[in-house]
Amino acid sequence: MIRFCRLILLVAFAGCLWAGSDDTFFLRGATVHPISGPEIPNGSILVRDGKIIGVGVSLTPPKDVRIVEGKGLQVYPGLIDSATEIGLSEIGAVRETSDVSELGRLNPQLRASIAVNPSSEHIPVTRANGITAVISLPDGEGLSGQASLMHLDGWTTDEMEVSRTAAMHLRMPVIQTIRSRFGEGPPRIPYAEARKTYQKQMQELNEFFESARRYQKARSAAAPEFKPDLKFEAMIPVLEGKVPLLITAVRERAIRDALEFADKQKIKMILARGDEAWKVAGELKTRNVPVILGETLSLPLDEDDPYDKPFTTPAELYKAGVKFAFGTYNVSASRNLPYQAAAAVAFGLPHDEALRAITVNAAQIWGVADKMGSIEEGKWADLMITDGDPLQTQTQVMQVFIKGKTVDMDNKHHRLYEKYLARP
Amino acid sequence: MKPGLNLISLIHCCSSALFAEGPAVYAIHDARVVRVSGPPIEHCTVVVRNGLIEAVGENVVPPADAWIIRGSGLTVYPGLIDALSTIGISGPRPPPATPALSPPPPAAGPEDRPSNTSFLRAADQIVAADPSVEAARDGGFTTAVTFPTANIFAGQGVVFDLAGMRIGQMVIDPSAGQYITLRNNGSSFPGSLMGVIAYIRQIYLDADRYKVAKAIYDKHPKGLERPAYDRTLEGVIESPRVLLPAHRAVEIDRMLQLARELKIRPILYGGEEAWRSVDSLKRSGVPVLVTLKWPEKAKDGDPAVDEPLRVLEMREKAPSTPGVLAKNGILFAFYSDGIATSKEVLKAAKKAVDAGLSTSDAVRALTLSPAEIYGVSDRLGSIDNGKIANLVVTDGDLFADKTKVKYVFVDGNKFEPAPESPDAKKDLEKTQ
Repeated sequence: MIRFCRLILLVAFAGCLWAGSDDTFFLRGATVHPISGPEIPNGSILVRDGKIIGVGVSLTPPKDVRIVEGKGLQVYPGLIDSATEIGLSEIGAVRETSDVSELGRLNPQLRASIAVNPSSEHIPVTRANGITAVISLPDGEGLSGQASLMHLDGWTTDEMEVSRTAAMHLRMPVIQTIRSRFGEGPPRIPYAEARKTYQKQMQELNEFFESARRYQKARSAAAPEFKPDLKFEAMIPVLEGKVPLLITAVRERAIRDALEFADKQKIKMILARGDEAWKVAGELKTRNVPVILGETLSLPLDEDDPYDKPFTTPAELYKAGVKFAFGTYNVSASRNLPYQAAAAVAFGLPHDEALRAITVNAAQIWGVADKMGSIEEGKWADLMITDGDPLQTQTQVMQVFIKGKTVDMDNKHHRLYEKYLARP
Repeated sequence: MKPGLNLISLIHCCSSALFAEGPAVYAIHDARVVRVSGPPIEHCTVVVRNGLIEAVGENVVPPADAWIIRGSGLTVYPGLIDALSTIGISGPRPPPATPALSPPPPAAGPEDRPSNTSFLRAADQIVAADPSVEAARDGGFTTAVTFPTANIFAGQGVVFDLAGMRIGQMVIDPSAGQYITLRNNGSSFPGSLMGVIAYIRQIYLDADRYKVAKAIYDKHPKGLERPAYDRTLEGVIESPRVLLPAHRAVEIDRMLQLARELKIRPILYGGEEAWRSVDSLKRSGVPVLVTLKWPEKAKDGDPAVDEPLRVLEMREKAPSTPGVLAKNGILFAFYSDGIATSKEVLKAAKKAVDAGLSTSDAVRALTLSPAEIYGVSDRLGSIDNGKIANLVVTDGDLFADKTKVKYVFVDGNKFEPAPESPDAKKDLEKTQ
């Protein structure tokens, strides 16, 4: 209780101090954790027009700039959740509020960013825990659409958008012999039948990629009978290697399939989920395929797996030299991103690597390492000020800045907390 | 002699006369006789008269009127008993549930008596001419205990002999017990395991009260409110024992607990994991019907998916269950559980022998033990004077691969199994 009172005082205090929409300020006296380098005790950061223009110990504040005192506090770069449904889904159980998936197996033309709801209640909740940017991931069957990297601040999707097409999402076809709980028909599907379905889906996928290649040629040749098609348009940056294909694959067989597919189609690949990526770590490393791991705090896939398999997977990938980031693949649980990384620390992942996985690694994987992911000159001032290590659940996030802008720390959780605290 | 007895023997003569294959008196001379109730006797003679075993022993002289079967090189066993089957109802497999023309309204609770046909009697449903009867008999089975299996309270089983022109002659006990499943009732009550168990408890509570109310009313109907007739409770009350499904150890414990609570005489069926529950089974004294359909790897499974240890252990250890039960003195019997042919059934029993069950215990689990479990061991299950003349005569050990069934006696009538044609084997492969 005393701790909470202190928090509220601090928040109130911080509110006065950091109020205003000005994206130019000088933060001093705090311990700065740039992630890209060693921590800087008693460090300062100069932010102008939303960008970091200076980080160091003995900086002097320019005269015209507002000063923010950070004594006793810690500064980290804002965290990046590399897979969420934020803005696409409000309440999972209410169909009208869920825009995560489209029908059909080939929907590369879908863009997540256009559908993101900037007024989602999940945004203030998530960013209040230091998460400043997220991947909004369309999820369906097969090619499910374009994942967008979004800042968690803005009145419109344009203001939020960092990268409209951060990746193209493909859910790898799998040989599915166990029907999902809600599927119709018998619970088990004969292997031969499941394999046939899978082969059909793979063939369809390969044919689609070939058609896209033909389209690409016809387009560059400006053939007179050329007819623009949104689906194939969307595939061109993927075929050119400008946009990576984010392939969801859980089991070893599916991951190997995905690697083979990426080789065959000569495209840039990111592995999503990869629960069994530890079985394929060597191949991932040789091909430089990064992984967006899912929840660490989860149960093992199979009943005979070690109880801590999901906890140790990040450390195993790290030891094998595979680059990875974390995604929550969720809406309301996105705020728990740092704890997903923290759980891996307790099971062998170095602390700094866990932090990198939710900051600079993510920025590199999504091709925005020049803009975010660490506290360095020239990058956007996506910052979080805390009273401790963000991987610790007790740590309080005091203030978050997105592009140098002091964001509103109020959110639904906080309002409910105060409401019920005041209950007679 | 009482006139009643005369009548019975007269009827017997008539019924035997229907099988006009030979005399009603047989003597199997100089055979190895596995009596089951005692040690096997070499060079032994068995005399069968009027459907009953008249004499067994080394020094028995075949009577003058007997048809003599040279038994040297042959082994005589009591007729085999399939302790839980659907023989006689519709092939070896349970009939598929036929959807009702207009589905009944969903049940809201136990008062609607959902999924309850406790009043059904397999004795009224079996068909003497069903091909499964002859098929089982040719493989050495002379008696089957058949149950309806379609509902939570499926109905009463029947102990019956596997030969006869009319069902009435074949039935030994039309009231073998109530067959219970834990199948939930889909979108209607009970839709969960706990719902099903609560429902079973309520039915037994209702049945107790029903019995008392009926007794009071029958004594003094005048001036008393009439208790409503309930056929679902009648069926439960008439059943002398209850068959409860229990395959895994957790299910065995669950069913033993339920039986204790209901104060019923239970028989567990399934028993694949009973090796793990020896202590609780021993304490309870509850008999177990062990399925001979040992768990197998699914043929159409995904080869890349590793099966969990739990499943592998179940598959590996299930055939060792009978051996463990025998060692601990727990009464058990085998049942065919839909295995297509008697040959396969015996092959499956051989698996239990390979996993530690003695051959004599294996024979017992197919003869005297099921007779004891169903309370007919005074008539069936061993080769003793006065018992029903159900015998199987083979040219070797019952479980040996090459052994052939030479003769089968059912109620003293001799049958010779049709020779196995190669086509039959091919047909079987096709259907599998």
